[in-house]
Parts: sequence; C-alpha cells; structure tokens
Amino acid sequence: MNEKIKKNSFLTNQIQVSLKINAKNRSLTLDSRTSLLDALREHLELNGTKKGCDHGQCGACTVIMNGKRQLSCLTLAATCEGANVLTIEGLAKKDKMHPMQGAFVKHDGFQCGYCTPGQICSAVALLQEAKDGDASYVTADVRNISKELKLSEEEIRERLSGNICRCGAYNNIVQAFKEVHSADDEMPTWKFATKMQMKSAKRK
Amino acid sequence: MKTKNATGIGNAIDRVEGHLKVTGEATYASEFKVENKAYGQGINSTIAKGEIIGIDTSEAEKLKGVLKIITYKNAEKLKTFDKERPVLATDSIAPVLQSNKVHYYGEYVGFVVAETFEQAQYAASLVKLKYKEDATARFILGQNKDKAYNPSEESDYERGNLKKGFSEADAIIEQTYNTPIEHQHPMELHATIASWNNGKVLVYASQQIVEDAVISISGTFQIPKKDVRVVAKYVGGGFGSKLNVERHLIMAVMASKMVGRPVQATVTRSQMFTNTGLRQSNIQVVKLGAKKTGELTGLLHETLAYTSTTQEFQEPCGSMSKMMYNVANAAVSERLVPLNLQQPFSMRAPGEATGSFALECAMDELAWKLKMDPVQFRIKNDTQEDLSQEKPFSSRLLIECLTIGADEFGWNKRQQKPRANKKGNWLIGYGVSAAARAAPFNETHAKVLLDLTNDTVTATLQMDATDIGTGSYTILAQTLSECLNVPLEQVVVELGDSDYPITPGSGGSWGAASYCNGAKSACDYAIAALKKNRNVPNDEDVSIAELLKMNQITSYESQSLAKPDSEFKKHSIFSFGANFTEVWVDKDTGIYKIKRMVNVGSAGKILNPKTAYGQVIGGLTMGAGMVIAEQTKVEPNFGNFITRSFADYHVPVNLDMANVDVIFLPEEDKIVNQMGIKGIGELGITSVAASIANAIFNATGKRMRDLPITPEKLLMAEVEDGVTV
Repeated sequence: MNEKIKKNSFLTNQIQVSLKINAKNRSLTLDSRTSLLDALREHLELNGTKKGCDHGQCGACTVIMNGKRQLSCLTLAATCEGANVLTIEGLAKKDKMHPMQGAFVKHDGFQCGYCTPGQICSAVALLQEAKDGDASYVTADVRNISKELKLSEEEIRERLSGNICRCGAYNNIVQAFKEVHSADDEMPTWKFATKMQMKSAKRK
Repeated sequence: MKTKNATGIGNAIDRVEGHLKVTGEATYASEFKVENKAYGQGINSTIAKGEIIGIDTSEAEKLKGVLKIITYKNAEKLKTFDKERPVLATDSIAPVLQSNKVHYYGEYVGFVVAETFEQAQYAASLVKLKYKEDATARFILGQNKDKAYNPSEESDYERGNLKKGFSEADAIIEQTYNTPIEHQHPMELHATIASWNNGKVLVYASQQIVEDAVISISGTFQIPKKDVRVVAKYVGGGFGSKLNVERHLIMAVMASKMVGRPVQATVTRSQMFTNTGLRQSNIQVVKLGAKKTGELTGLLHETLAYTSTTQEFQEPCGSMSKMMYNVANAAVSERLVPLNLQQPFSMRAPGEATGSFALECAMDELAWKLKMDPVQFRIKNDTQEDLSQEKPFSSRLLIECLTIGADEFGWNKRQQKPRANKKGNWLIGYGVSAAARAAPFNETHAKVLLDLTNDTVTATLQMDATDIGTGSYTILAQTLSECLNVPLEQVVVELGDSDYPITPGSGGSWGAASYCNGAKSACDYAIAALKKNRNVPNDEDVSIAELLKMNQITSYESQSLAKPDSEFKKHSIFSFGANFTEVWVDKDTGIYKIKRMVNVGSAGKILNPKTAYGQVIGGLTMGAGMVIAEQTKVEPNFGNFITRSFADYHVPVNLDMANVDVIFLPEEDKIVNQMGIKGIGELGITSVAASIANAIFNATGKRMRDLPITPEKLLMAEVEDGVTV
C-alpha cells in the first residue's frame, strides 16, 4: 500500500525513498540526513526499534534488512531504496508471537525492555547465521566451518555481544536463545534454600 | 501470608507487560503520539570554568526549519538556588541557561528548537560561543585533597574508643581503595516530550519518581503543582540517573512555552556522560584491627569524594561499615572537594556499591593476615544488633547466607594460599564477600477500582509508581490477584502518571515493599468496607464478586495508604547477602574471566523469583562492570571526559558474564511491613566487586585496590608480601 507522500515545505535536501517495511510498501519524503532509525521512529510511528546510542555501539536499533541484522542508526534512509526491512513490529504473525519473542517472555530475557527489540531481532537473524554457517570471533577454526551450526553457549554469548543490556539480563537472553535454537529447555538458575539448609546453617 | 491462587505473590510468573516489551508496543517517553511537535537539541560548553562573552547564532538561524535558539540571553527566568551549593535531592529545582557562567565542561549553554531532529542537531553545531576561561578550574580529586570540607554533622560518626581498639589488636591493616567516576547508562536515553499549554505543563518523561518530577518542575518554573502532569509509563532503565529531573527536560518545557508547540528532547549518548548524573570517584581509607582469635577491635573508614561547584551530593560510602560487624570501636567519616565536574548523584546502591568494595576487600586482607578463612572471619564478627543505630535488626540471616553459599559454591575446595590452584596458564581463585543494603519502606497511596460485569470482577490498580525494569507491573498484579483472590487475567495495573495516587517512586530499594503494601491496603480497605456494609464478619471467606452483589453495586472505588509502623521504627532494617566468585587469570597476560558466581540473598518475601532473579543478575552484572571495565576518565588539562561513548566507556556485554546461581533464603521478616517485603535490586550489586577482587587475590597473590582491574594493571602489580610465587 502506497501512502500519500507528505510535502514538507521546511525540509532541506529532500529525498524520496520507497522501501518495504514489515511486508508493506512505504514511500517517504525525508531530510537526506535521516537515519533509517529516525525514519522508523519519527516518520512511521514504528517506535519498537529503539535509539540507545545513535552511534552503532549498543545494538538497540537492530532491525533485519534483506535477511541480515542491520544497525538502523548507522543506516541512512536514503540508502534503503527497495530494501526489505523487518522490525520488531513485523515479527509476530497476526497475533502469534515469533518463538523468540515467546522465549524472551518465558525466560525473562529483559527487564526495562528497552534493548529487547534489538536483542530479539539480533537473535532471530542469528538463527539464520547459524544455519548458514557464519563464523564468529570465538569460532575455533574459521577455515573449517559447517552449515547448520549448533552454537555453544560461548558462541551464543559472543554473537549476541553487539546488543548491550544494561539491566544485565544476559543469562536469561542466552537461555531464551537456546530454547529456540536447540530446543534446550533449561530454566534460570535460582532456587530457595531448603529448610534443612537453613537449620544446619544456624547450628554451625 | 498464604498464597491463595497460582498467580498470587511468591509465584514465578512471566512479566505481565512482557508481551508489550517483546513486540515493541511498550511506550517509552519519546514514543507518545503528540501532534505538531518540534525537536530540541542541547548545546554543551567546551570549557570547564569561565564566562560566555559572545554568542553568534546567525549561521544557525539561517537554516531552514530552525524555530528558536535559546541561551542565557533570551531564556525564561527560572527559580535559581538561594544558597551556595545546596544539597541535590530527587525533587530539587533544576535551573538552566540562567547566566553566562560555566561551571563544568559539558554544561548546557544553549538549546536549539527546529522542525526536525536533523535540523536541530545540525543547527546546534553551528551556534558559536566565545568564552573567557577561568584558569582556577579544578578537576582532579587526588590533587585537591586540601580543599576538602565536611558537608554535614552526620559526616562524622564514631563509637567506642578507636585508639584503644587498635591498641588491643594483634593484627592491623590499613589500605586505600580507589573507585573511578562511573556512569549509570540506562539503555533508554533520557528523553521527554514537553508541552506548555496556557501555564499547564504536560511532560512524557523518563523518570523514576513521578511525584518528585512534578515538584521539581513546579518549583523550577514557580507554577502550582496541580498544573504539572508527568507521565512515565515505561522507563528504559534508571539506575539512579532518572531519580531527579535533569535539565534537558526543563529546557524542553521552556522551549515549548517559547515556541508554542510541544518539544521533544532526547539526550545524546555523549550527553549521558555530561548531563544526566554519575557516580563520582572516591578515595577510601579503611583501617581494621582484630585479635588473633578473629574478633574485630577497631574499624576506621574515611572517604574523600567530590561534588560539583554548584550543588552538593555525598555518597555515604561508610554506611555498611557502620552496621555490618560486631566491632565496638569504629569511626566513619566523609569529606567532599568541590570540583569543576558534572554534579554527581546516586548510582545503583549509592554508598554500598563502592563502600563495600573497600570494606569487604579490607576484611579479606585482614583474614589473610590472621590466616583465617574469610567466611569464618565474617561469621565470627556477626552481630544481631545494629551498633550504629543501637537497634536490633528486624531479621539478619547473614550467617545463613555465608554458610549456605559456601556449601553451594564448593568453598571447601578453596586453597587458602594464593597461586596454589593452577590449570595450564590459568591461575584459579575463589573469593567471597558479604553484603548488606538498607531495606526502606515509605508511605504509599494506591487506588483500586472494582468493576463487576457479567459476574466477573475486573480490578484496576492506579498508583504513580514506575516500572524501570524492576517488575513493578508484575508484582503489583500478583498482589491484587492475591489480596482480592481473583485471577491475573482480571487484574489491570496502571502506573506512571502523576494523576494517580502518590508513591515514593522507584529507587533506593524501597519500590517493591512500598508499592505492594500500598496496593494491599487499598484492596484490604475495599474488602473490609464492603463486608461492613452488609454485616459480613471479617474472617468469613466471601469472593469479591459476591461482596459487590451483596452490596447491590457493580463498581467500587477504594483508596488507602500504607506506611511504616512503630515496630519498623524500633528496628534496623536491612537485606543481607553473600557473593562467591571463581576467576581464572592468565598468568602471562593478566586477562581474566569470571567463571562462575554464587549469590545468596536474604531479602524478605520474594514476590516473584523470576523477576527477583533478574534484579540479582542485573546487580551482579553491574558489579562485574565495576571490576572489569567501567570508568570515566577526566582529561587532566581541560576537565572534559575522555570517555564519551560506549566505544570507550565499556559496560559488560553478554560474553563477559558468567553463569550464576542465585539462592534466595526463605526469610520471614514480620517487622519490616505487613507483607514482609525487603528490597533486592541494590543488594545484588553490593560487594560484588570485592568478591571478584578477593578471588583475583586468591588466584594471583595481588591486591588490586584501584577499580577497574584491567589486565595491564594486574600484570604490573606486585604480589603481596608473604605470597610465594
């Protein structure tokens, strides 16, 4: 669906860009300096993609562009002509959440929720990267890497290290990813001390 | 309190707002739909002290889209400080652009309003300021010790006779511990959309304490409180930086008044270093003395920190030293040096996070000197009375925390001798620390609206409380579900709006206890009133739907409050914990890994173990950050921060974190409040740094007393006397 192109008399260096966002065709008239992130947030009311640093250092603005993770704050909207962009708002199918979204809720892979859309977009794209056999910083032998990788915990942590979570939900994020990636249903490692432990601790 | 249904308190349910956060639908401050908004961008000073002697806005004004450029010359008049260096509080006024004076590098000196974000940013870069620099600017704490002053009477605490205490000691250690400037850096940039409409202010803002934001805005603009509304539905992390109103918000309100349109202002990540709070650097001296048998005889804890030249904040680093151990002779003092640096304020566990690094490292040092096990040394000095307040603890399970933690961790496998546990190139060390963090509970108001439709009751809770990631929405939904005995699906929680009843907001570990007891009081009030109307005995079990029917009403509104009682005031109230850490240090490079951690917490009733676990691992992560990387560096000649982005201020990332086991003690504290709730969010960070530093000593024989402990520092450090290499 093409929207009516808004005329903005005050814009400097106007550009027009047409792209597909969450399976919808969108046409935008923008200031040439507008990042994909600001185009989403300030022009399309797609506020799910977050601004955490605007410098490509925190990952909160991660979207999936043409199948790959992309930092939308470092991407000028002007360069996105014809691109296919998937944001957090487009991940769920109708009312059914993507399995990664469900796993993040179940494993409490967030607290304040601000880095979460970026974390989830990264995690979803990473599922494909693992299928494709992409290498990482902790890959033992980059010359010998197969497709359909089952990522170790260290691999998962490294490959999700581009998304900062200041609340520190990393361990839960790893568990959420594992559940979708390898059907590993491990739950968080908290427990209550038993009555016996309490009693014997007192005696000592 | 017994749990009535599976969604009541104590259950590890998923966050009730979780689906909104994973689908991008949760609305943070800058995401509210506001028509016709303009964009604001602050301009920062490029000197540390002096005066603005010229402003050239001509180039910026020529740009299309620029609506207003505000500097001290044309700014609205605001309330300014009426004394020198007033104490910064969460509801303080926040004057900005009121004079040509510059007090630190990065202070706001202007604000540009434009049609678009891009135009505002570019225009801000074109505003030219001329300064007259004042060469007396001071920025380095260690070089200005002679300028220290005593901020208040409470800054000197003493009990017993310290001289006598140290004379009775068989072993004494005295060391200096340094912690750097740190920044809170919540992931959501401070942001606001502010509207001034005929003297009435509406701000969507990222604030931890809604009521105090209202007080601050009304005080700064000298308008009645009732004309200010603050909305903070979702807050993308706070860690102290969003406790008070920062000046971008005041500038946005002012700009809205001047341009007659709503103004959105989002602070940049670089401005998160200079304009939204920080934890100042501290130089702490701890002296401890003990008998051969392990009894502490004396404790001295002196802290030197800085405040800005405009306002005062003192981080109470000695707070834990005052109450933690059974030592009859103790002295704690705090001194401040005013520097031309940004105003410090609270960062997660202000006082405890940094103070515990000094105290708990010193405890480890003395245990080693006494050849005692550091777990036993702490147990030996346990006390059930807070000697500083001369009150019993409402509940203190520190021995249980230490003992159970040691068992779970496998502490008995620890070698007392440093450098004794090796694996290839790795030196393996175990470390322990104990933690205490005050568990406050403050007056809280709440409103509950009951609605009966088709035999089903919907209960809606309204409070101005905030959820900054702490889980407030979830634990409050659980509280209503429990107190009204209705399923979670029939509960609605509405927070973060100053139109709702007043709460103390989120901060200082008082949120969970205050909010939940407040909500409970409104529920209890509704049930009691509905029963009384129909002469139903209080102890008779009647459903809330039935009660409404008996009263022949379909809706009911109840408002009540909870506050501390006299028992609370007669006791000293703290949460307690113990941290155990295993580190692996590469003996040739100094690179180290935190392999695993065990954290035991005794924090009263655990309302939801899933969200409580989140609070603890979050604290452990930030505590690990203190050790592995976090520091803001001051340029020694110009006083600017050298570290101005995540590329140079490193916070922990996923690969940095270890697996952790968290153990909650089933503590029943009947004194603290009706529901037995104590805070846990700040307990989680307390003493973590010491636990890691102590593990590094056990691995390497090196005492690292300056945070962060970077590989190069570790490599260059000498092993302690008495350690065999």
